Amino acid sequence: CVIVELPFSLVPLFTSSSFPRSSPSPISSLHFPRVDLVHKASNQMVGGGVIQQILRRKLHSQSVATPVLSWFSSKKAHVDADSSGVRAFALLGAGVTGLLSFSTVASADEAEHGLACPDYPWPHDGILSSYDHASIRRGHQVYQQVCASCHSMSLISYRDLVGVAYTEEEAKAMAAEVEVVDGPNDEGEMFTRPGKLSDRLPQPYANESAARFANGGAYPPDLSLITKARHNGQNYVFALLTGYRDPPAGISIREGLHYNPYFPGGAIAMPKMLNDEAVEYEDGVPATEAQMGKDVVSFLSWAAEPEMEERKLMGFKWIFLLSLALLQAAYYRRLKWSVLKSRKLVLDVVN
Amino acid sequence: MNLEKTDFNKQQVLYPSCLDLLSLPTRAEDEVVDPKKYLEESCKPKCVKPLLEYQACVKRIQSDDSGHKHCTGQYFDYWHCIDKCVAPKLFAKLK
Repeated sequence: CVIVELPFSLVPLFTSSSFPRSSPSPISSLHFPRVDLVHKASNQMVGGGVIQQILRRKLHSQSVATPVLSWFSSKKAHVDADSSGVRAFALLGAGVTGLLSFSTVASADEAEHGLACPDYPWPHDGILSSYDHASIRRGHQVYQQVCASCHSMSLISYRDLVGVAYTEEEAKAMAAEVEVVDGPNDEGEMFTRPGKLSDRLPQPYANESAARFANGGAYPPDLSLITKARHNGQNYVFALLTGYRDPPAGISIREGLHYNPYFPGGAIAMPKMLNDEAVEYEDGVPATEAQMGKDVVSFLSWAAEPEMEERKLMGFKWIFLLSLALLQAAYYRRLKWSVLKSRKLVLDVVN
Repeated sequence: MNLEKTDFNKQQVLYPSCLDLLSLPTRAEDEVVDPKKYLEESCKPKCVKPLLEYQACVKRIQSDDSGHKHCTGQYFDYWHCIDKCVAPKLFAKLK
């Protein structure tokens, strides 16, 4: 009896022993090691996998799938059990049970990953482009007035801002506005003092638990590295901050969360923070939502990658120099090898 | 009128020629226009097809009571189209 390759196979690995076998096969064939299976399964499962993909798209809900599967399992029992055929089906079964378990998740895929953010033409994108430092300065102002009440930036110190966004005097004055815990003093007590350039930016909460408690269980992440810590970080953060919209029809968000299509899952704990004219810029630039978003993301990009300008300069210089070196090395190699490559070999054939 | 050269720092009243843009409200003297919102409105004519798909979906699920049906797919398609249209133009309008 020829074994037809059925698109579904339900036999998981460990029940292959329950099969009625007409041809005697050694018991050891049942206990093949797992590693061996993985290698042999790959070819068979690929073909099975493609068919399963197509069928998964056609089957919308689990309830449709189950009667189909039970029909196939009964059909399976009548198939003649050749030992290699059993193995093939067992491997297919392992693949199917794995793939089918994803079918209910597939329908939630889009919201799960969030709407893909577009690519914005950042002024610092080019191979030799620097940051817009005026934008970094405005962005820091936005961070301080809008974001710092919930988000820490514990890896940035006031001295890092000197020469980037503020002069030394301005940075010192800014640091002096905050109270910092220092100590212990000679009496063994902790005391507070005005901040210095060497201090880190102040943290809004003492620890993560306090942050979660104050924000309904959600932790506002530290922003020092956020544009590197998220895929396509700069564009993602900008899209997220400016992307608060009404949810699509049929989606309702529970009390305490807000809809944002760019956030994976769609329900974010942070409310819309950037509203027109929430901040009054020192340089008189109109503080629209998009402007504040651009500035704060420039600031966050700098915070995550302060070395960017030096890195680009170094990269450009060394790639140029190494290309010249490559040309020189290629010429020198060919020069030295030319002796061998221009050899003539005479074969004297003796008949 | 060339909308691309409009300076949002000066408050101007805009009268776009395209019919679809007549839905844009006129601005009071001291209000600031968010360039992103403005561009999203002006990109609507380019993305009519996904918008109509979304509206058709909304209509389809209006009668649904199970609570499982939603229009996230069409919503995402529409906003993806708008985003692709807005992104290259937005930063030119910002400082």
